[in-house]
Amino acid sequence: MSNIPFVIIAVLVILYILISIRKNKLSVSASFGWFMFCLVMLFFAIFPTSLDWLAFEMGISYPPTLFMVACIIVLFVSNFRDDRTIDELKQKVNDLSQEVSILKGEKDDKK
Amino acid sequence: MIPAHNEAESIEGVLNDIKSQLKDADILVVNDCSTDDTAAKVRACKGVKVLNNPFNIGYAMSIQAGIKYAKRHDYDYVIQMDADGQHLASETHKLLEACITKNVDIVIGSRFKKKTGYKSPFFRRFGTRLFEGTVKIFTGKRITDPLTGFQCLNKRTIDYYAEPGNYPEYPDAGLIIEMLMKKYKIIEVPVSMKQREAGVSMHSGIIQPIKYMVTQLYTCVIIFIKYIGRTK
Repeated sequence: MSNIPFVIIAVLVILYILISIRKNKLSVSASFGWFMFCLVMLFFAIFPTSLDWLAFEMGISYPPTLFMVACIIVLFVSNFRDDRTIDELKQKVNDLSQEVSILKGEKDDKK
Repeated sequence: MIPAHNEAESIEGVLNDIKSQLKDADILVVNDCSTDDTAAKVRACKGVKVLNNPFNIGYAMSIQAGIKYAKRHDYDYVIQMDADGQHLASETHKLLEACITKNVDIVIGSRFKKKTGYKSPFFRRFGTRLFEGTVKIFTGKRITDPLTGFQCLNKRTIDYYAEPGNYPEYPDAGLIIEMLMKKYKIIEVPVSMKQREAGVSMHSGIIQPIKYMVTQLYTCVIIFIKYIGRTK
């Protein structure tokens, strides 16, 4: 039997992602990981016994633990990628700031 | 080249000192979005070039802005000094002379190479010893003052530092290790320094120096791991 609340959550998140893309608030590439995550969540919500089977195959006696661990790993990877992106953007902002100050300085030199 | 952030009380004296000692040198101040009168004081000094950062980007990135300016304008040497009045313009000749005559890439002005009577605060002393040991362990070279901002750089170093990403947020000991591992020639010359004339050091208090030391130590280890075994 499917898990209705999780089906609703997964569908709502997918809709939210699609609306964000349509409004140019989220790029296609950035949405990919979240979209795939929602599809997997939707699959396990529709076929909850598959999660039990997978947990059993992996030697996990309590299936929801598998779901929680998977969520934590996804969030950890996402957070790490975000930190990397922020660092890259910080570097670019610094480079731009330096460029602006140099160009302004050169302009003042010519006065 | 002088990076400055809220150094209105000392910057005028520093600039006048440089102008009286280095008559042929171009002076560049990188004003890191000071909220006091630093910008106005620099503007009042005739013949001083100034870069005004549009927002606060920090000490290291301000230095890199100055170095990028030097590269764009094809300077052969850059002498980097602090704006707090600790570094004496009369000592810059030693750095430049060593850089030219000994054909080295970086000359560090060291206050600990010879006994000069300079008294530094506890954390500064402790940090200097700690990073002197760290540089020695990782590179085999003894740098007695790895935390000083009083340095002379030649064109090769200017070109390298000016590239995006080549000047780290915590430049001191980590950068020395990186440059030594990249086979850049670094020497120290003994110099005299004064105590800070005014303003507040970015490493003042207790938490800041501890945070700085932990981060710098981490940087040194990572830099060593990054460049070990590399030939270029």
